[in-house]
Amino acid sequence: MPLPPDRVDYSPIIERPVIKWPNGARVAFWVSPNVEHYEYLPDFDGNRNPWPRTPYPDVQQYSYRDYGNRVGFWRMLEPLDKYNIKCCVSLNMAVLEQFPEIAEAMVQRDWDYMSHGIYNTRFLNTYSEEQEREFYRDCIDTLRRHTGKQLKGMLGPAISATVATPDLMAEAGLIFHTDWVHDDQPVPIKVKSGKLISVPYSIELNDSSVLRDNHYEGDYFARICKDQFDRLYEEGAESGRVMCIALHPFLIGQPHRIKYLDDILGYIMGHDGVWQTTADEIAEYYIANHYDQVVEHAKQLNSP
Amino acid sequence: MPGQRQFGMDHEHYDWSPISTRGTLRWPNESRVALCVIVSLDKMEWIAPEGSYQAGNLAGGSAARPFPDFTRMSHREYGHRVGIFRILDVLEKHGITPTIAMDALTAEYYPYLVKHCLDRGCEIIGHGISVSQMITSNMSEGDEKEYINQSIKALTQATGAAPRGWMGPEYGESHRTPQLLAEAGIKYVCDWANDEQPYPMKSPKGELTSLPVLWELDDVGAMANRKVTIHRYGDLLKESFDQLYQDGAANGRLLGLSLHPWLIGQPFRIKYLDDALGYMTGHSQVWPANGEAIVDWFRQNPPAA
Repeated sequence: MPLPPDRVDYSPIIERPVIKWPNGARVAFWVSPNVEHYEYLPDFDGNRNPWPRTPYPDVQQYSYRDYGNRVGFWRMLEPLDKYNIKCCVSLNMAVLEQFPEIAEAMVQRDWDYMSHGIYNTRFLNTYSEEQEREFYRDCIDTLRRHTGKQLKGMLGPAISATVATPDLMAEAGLIFHTDWVHDDQPVPIKVKSGKLISVPYSIELNDSSVLRDNHYEGDYFARICKDQFDRLYEEGAESGRVMCIALHPFLIGQPHRIKYLDDILGYIMGHDGVWQTTADEIAEYYIANHYDQVVEHAKQLNSP
Repeated sequence: MPGQRQFGMDHEHYDWSPISTRGTLRWPNESRVALCVIVSLDKMEWIAPEGSYQAGNLAGGSAARPFPDFTRMSHREYGHRVGIFRILDVLEKHGITPTIAMDALTAEYYPYLVKHCLDRGCEIIGHGISVSQMITSNMSEGDEKEYINQSIKALTQATGAAPRGWMGPEYGESHRTPQLLAEAGIKYVCDWANDEQPYPMKSPKGELTSLPVLWELDDVGAMANRKVTIHRYGDLLKESFDQLYQDGAANGRLLGLSLHPWLIGQPFRIKYLDDALGYMTGHSQVWPANGEAIVDWFRQNPPAA
């Protein structure tokens, strides 16, 4: 009997089939700005309180995040444009409806998007399967309507999920789920129908955990991003690795921090053998070229 | 039992013994410092069994979120899939024989890792059932005995030999644990972070030695709890070693280092461990050894007056 939730076959990174990225790249590098909106007066679902500090509204915390859309996002664009980074946005869909200038800036740059829910203050945990199915329909339709793009993946809204989430994502036609931080390569996730993989997102190289939760500053963020890259670049000579940097405009877009993003991107993009890409492209490439082989290998490794 | 305001410890696990009045501990080959690296392979469960206890500061994920938390569980899983191999490579490079604290779920569900660790000459010690099930005094004596036996049985089945050492998940113990471990045949325990030398525990049934670790240097304690930066952590390791090396000239010292592959095994952290362990083993009077070897030596060569 496998351990629940039985979504992933064990596969040690030192034993797997070799992953070859396009053009022999060592590292597939993706940048994921979390473009979000947090409701001023959200509904509390009885399970997870979006604003636990005060009765709603919590103007300090609300406005801190709203700053990201009013100011931080626009400042963040400068280093991203300077190094010609194509982002995969972790997107609260309502941003497309509420803040058209942000939608336009992203569409102009031909970025990709994964769903990050409708608002960052609405969580999946209490959804019935029917509600969750409707949620995927809404995300898919909203994204197509505003950007013309087909939704392919998700980072759960504020990183929330239900037990059925991977199955329901795959059923809705999504191919990647980034709530998993278990590897430096994509990993097949077992689902009832279709194919779903995890694409390594990061809660370690994430301005929210590093700067907001753990109280480090921009210089440390730059240092660990560069150290991470060095190690993965070294290992990627043998078999391809994925590196993600997760950003939040209200954090990285602060005046005292933005230069560190420039520093990080300049360092990484100054190397050959970097495939600067999006989670969408990593997922499609991996499923087309490596998925079957890796699944078969893991199956054999785990057979008694 | 509350303290009785009388001489000695407020429990019966060991005697009061300040390092200042102790006999002299000599390590093999005139080593000043015995270096013991304990690497935990522990499993975070999808749903913790009813009645089980999780440490209030249990680390992993970006924060504890309501169930289901794919991120927290998978962050821990990173250690089993990726991080462990980086650590083992670093230890091998510096000639350090690792001591692996492996929980029952890892032993049972990760046969590849069991074999890999054995093939690389690791000692495997007991580490409870899972990190989601910590030993505490909430357990009845019967439940605790059963828990310890189940952990030992899983390792015995997976490795072919009963573990000699023990480290509870999250250093968890009840007031009974040392006695129950001794009764179950465990020879040394790494839960007590109170010394820089091994010391005997008082056990009516069996013979138990405490092999202490330095809690401040535990990677989870330092980086996940105290938020020490990774480069500063590397310096802490080296500075700790320098002091122990100095003190160990007169009376041998132990550097017990507890590591977790999901944390120190991340790509941006591993080089600092590599660097610090290279620094330590670059000294001539250091003895890198596993828990078993250190405890055996200590018992056969007790500190002399």
